[in-house]
Amino acid sequence: MSDLALAPLATTAPAKSRWRVVRAVAGKEWLELFRDRRLVWLCAFIMALMLAALAFGYVENARVLRERDAAAQADRELWVGQSAKNPHAAAHFGQYAFKPLSPLALADPGVDAYVGSAVWLEAHKQNETQFKQARDGGVGARLGSLSLAFILQTIAPLIVILMGFASFSGERESGTLKQLLSVGARPRDILAGKAMALIGAIFALLAPAFVGAALAVVFFVDRERLSLADQLIRLGALGAAYAVYLAGFAFLALGVSALARSSRAALVTLLAFWLANSFLAPRLATDAARAFAPTPTWQDFRAGIAQDKAKTFGHDESHPAFVAFRDETLKTYGVSRIEDLPVSFRGLALRKDDEAGYAIFDRHFGALQSAFDRQDALRAAPGFLFPLLALRPISMAFAGVDSRSQFDFATAAEAHRRDIQNQVSDNLIHFAHDNRYVAGPELWRKIAAFAYRAPGAVFALGYSALPMIGLFAWLALACAFALFAARRLRPV
Amino acid sequence: MSSAFLSSAFLAGMRFEARMMRRDGAIWFALLALAGVALFALAMGASRVAAQQAAIASARADETQRLSNLQKTLAQLQQGEPQGKPAPEPPPYRDPRNAAFMGGGPAAAVAALAPAPLALVATGQSDLLPPAVRVTTGSKDSFLFADEIDNPANLMSGATDLAFVVVFVYPLVVLAMAFNLLAGEREQGTLAMTLASARRPSAALAGKLTARVAAPIAATLLAVAAGVWIFAGWERLASPGFAALLIVVLLYGLFWAALAAAVDGLGRGSAFNALTLIGAWVAITMILPAAINSLAAFAHPAPSRIEMVLAARAASTDADRARDASLARYAQEHGDAGKPGGPQEMTLRRLATQEAAFQRVEAIVAEHDAQLARQRDMADRLGYLSPAYLTYQAMADVAGSGETRYRAFLDRIRAFHLDWREFFLSRAKAGASLTAQDYAAMPKFTQADEELMARPPAGLAGPLIGVALPMLILAIFAWRGFRRCKV
Repeated sequence: MSDLALAPLATTAPAKSRWRVVRAVAGKEWLELFRDRRLVWLCAFIMALMLAALAFGYVENARVLRERDAAAQADRELWVGQSAKNPHAAAHFGQYAFKPLSPLALADPGVDAYVGSAVWLEAHKQNETQFKQARDGGVGARLGSLSLAFILQTIAPLIVILMGFASFSGERESGTLKQLLSVGARPRDILAGKAMALIGAIFALLAPAFVGAALAVVFFVDRERLSLADQLIRLGALGAAYAVYLAGFAFLALGVSALARSSRAALVTLLAFWLANSFLAPRLATDAARAFAPTPTWQDFRAGIAQDKAKTFGHDESHPAFVAFRDETLKTYGVSRIEDLPVSFRGLALRKDDEAGYAIFDRHFGALQSAFDRQDALRAAPGFLFPLLALRPISMAFAGVDSRSQFDFATAAEAHRRDIQNQVSDNLIHFAHDNRYVAGPELWRKIAAFAYRAPGAVFALGYSALPMIGLFAWLALACAFALFAARRLRPV
Repeated sequence: MSSAFLSSAFLAGMRFEARMMRRDGAIWFALLALAGVALFALAMGASRVAAQQAAIASARADETQRLSNLQKTLAQLQQGEPQGKPAPEPPPYRDPRNAAFMGGGPAAAVAALAPAPLALVATGQSDLLPPAVRVTTGSKDSFLFADEIDNPANLMSGATDLAFVVVFVYPLVVLAMAFNLLAGEREQGTLAMTLASARRPSAALAGKLTARVAAPIAATLLAVAAGVWIFAGWERLASPGFAALLIVVLLYGLFWAALAAAVDGLGRGSAFNALTLIGAWVAITMILPAAINSLAAFAHPAPSRIEMVLAARAASTDADRARDASLARYAQEHGDAGKPGGPQEMTLRRLATQEAAFQRVEAIVAEHDAQLARQRDMADRLGYLSPAYLTYQAMADVAGSGETRYRAFLDRIRAFHLDWREFFLSRAKAGASLTAQDYAAMPKFTQADEELMARPPAGLAGPLIGVALPMLILAIFAWRGFRRCKV
């Protein structure tokens, strides 16, 4: 009997009885999933793996946090412990800014291993962050390490596929689909029931991981520096994003299973998609992003800055810009000799040169980050088809470990560098009456230590609009595909 | 007689299976897709190599330009201005005669690691470690950890290279071809006929299996050879590295074929085989490598490089204080009038701080290297649990983008750094000015890549045995399974 023959019966069924069908199908699916010992063991193994990944993440994060706190403390002591010297010499000695660790990096380490952990704040120059952890890891480390994100992004969809690939095709092969349709159950209700069961299984898979992550965050967060509520909101957003991602796989598996000629064909099709999504798409999208939005080499980047900086005078007193500034200053103060100025000309010149440098660094570093943003947008664009491309940026953004978070830290560090430069230049302007002027520890102490407060969840939300659209489009497409497949459901 | 018979059954099985496969469009598609992806990966590798070569050329051009400018300024300072007036005295950090400052930056030497002949095969660590560094007289923290610019998300995603295709994609095609030889025939009802058609059914089945696994392995090897020829030049095909690459690819393919045959030999259905093999693939290529890395990092955490920087900074402040104390004593003994100052004092202070930082950083870098070596040794030992891990490392070594070659590069930099320091600091300590002859005699970082390239990649024996041994064990299981197979 075809579904066309059943259609009039089904459409006349009251909503209450349709809901009963949905619940009955969901209950039966859930029972079958639970009775399949292989799946139960597999899920238990994955859960154990996720909890182990969380434990690894917790221990590693705690260690790194201790190291960075100790380093920040030690650097502060070095700064205030400087001997009496010219303030500009102290500015050359500079300070180090250490990137604080995002607590949710224990669930998704994101790009943390691929960005530096410290930046040197020295005179005249904005530096890149240094000491990428990935450099020390060796070749094998490029195959990844256990993290909750790694498991949920690549292995969890495979589990959903294994749970769902035979949902319709298996029933067709065993003849039960025909029976189900013959009692008047609508294909759409059967789909809803099976989807409910699969999504329930997804929640069962996610729940222990996210409860574990929440507990880890509660223990990990230093509430003096970070808002626990903000971290829990971020974790909630992560949970929602992963649920949408995996629910899309559930609908895809159901749709493919409904259309496929056999369970084997459904499995092969779904595995091919999983492979493309987990492995091929991220690399190919990255290659495309590199090709369409290239970034400069370090040499070119620094040469561009040096070219612009050559227009400023630095310490070169024969530079035309220096001469012009000197003349202008003398005119402003109405004197004819530097010695007659009421303030230190050296301090004024340093401040002037620094200010010219700030604009140059803003332009070059801003352009570099824009190129990174373009690459990230290009990579996320096919996220509605290959959802990992949409999920990853969302996951990293809410875990506080994406390149935007890094840029925010680098911007704050640069603002602190500028504060140091401005303070030492002001000190020179007002107190350096000759070249033998030195300042003491009171000035070093007056210049505050670098303190960075990571932005809240709204920041992550603001930079995740495109991938979020992609992720929801993925779920909508997968739903639509499953409904389309259910309409074409063949009983035999 | 028996061997000839066995051979004919084997060949007949192989011929029959090959004939069946030729008519299957899906198999052609899979093989062509695999070869196409391998060729694409090699093309991407070639463009990456070209970018590295361009970065090295650019660093060397910059070095030439810097030295030329310094030599020009030096000549002007020595000759005076055309009008006979002396040229204005530059500050010490811009003075090309000042050995302490020039060796520390303006005259820095470029030490480059040119891509190896088969660099297009694997990205390895080459996207993280810059191909050229500027060696100075300073401590290593000031130059060795410079990074090439790249979007961190790109680095995290990884590159499309042949190592990725071989480690992840190639086994799936081998598995797809071999997972249901017995199970498929049993389910179609043709197994009885196949077994009845030969006096030694196991030989016929082995022939059929060989045809199935030979196709993806041969397609990959041919694509690799064609890709290397097209993108790196035919002369690379005659290198020992290329022979090593073919052996790595062959053994890895045979490992997966043996695994598929061993599972098929258990006598279960196609669905069981498919799920078991997918599980094995996930475990071997994804979970085990990730677990190995996490365990090694947990047991031997990577040292904090920050510690090195702080030590250099502490050394610098200590040297400053020591210099202040020494100057105070001098002033006490000779009065303020005799107190040294100006450019000479700046130079001496720089020498003192550099020397102090150098000693402390050397000690810390050695300690860190030892800790990292312990971590990598553990990861390498655990790597024998995963043929994927071993193959990935072996391909990086063949490509010269693995640890072996980079460590050799670092050793060369270490030796060169000492020569470089000796050249400049001996002159600076003696108060000698750099001359045009000194500029011509500066130490050069010789590449000697020809010597490195001519050598076959070292250290491959362990990984190859690590893949071959489980392959042989699985092949024995498979053989037993095929011999005992039932309809």
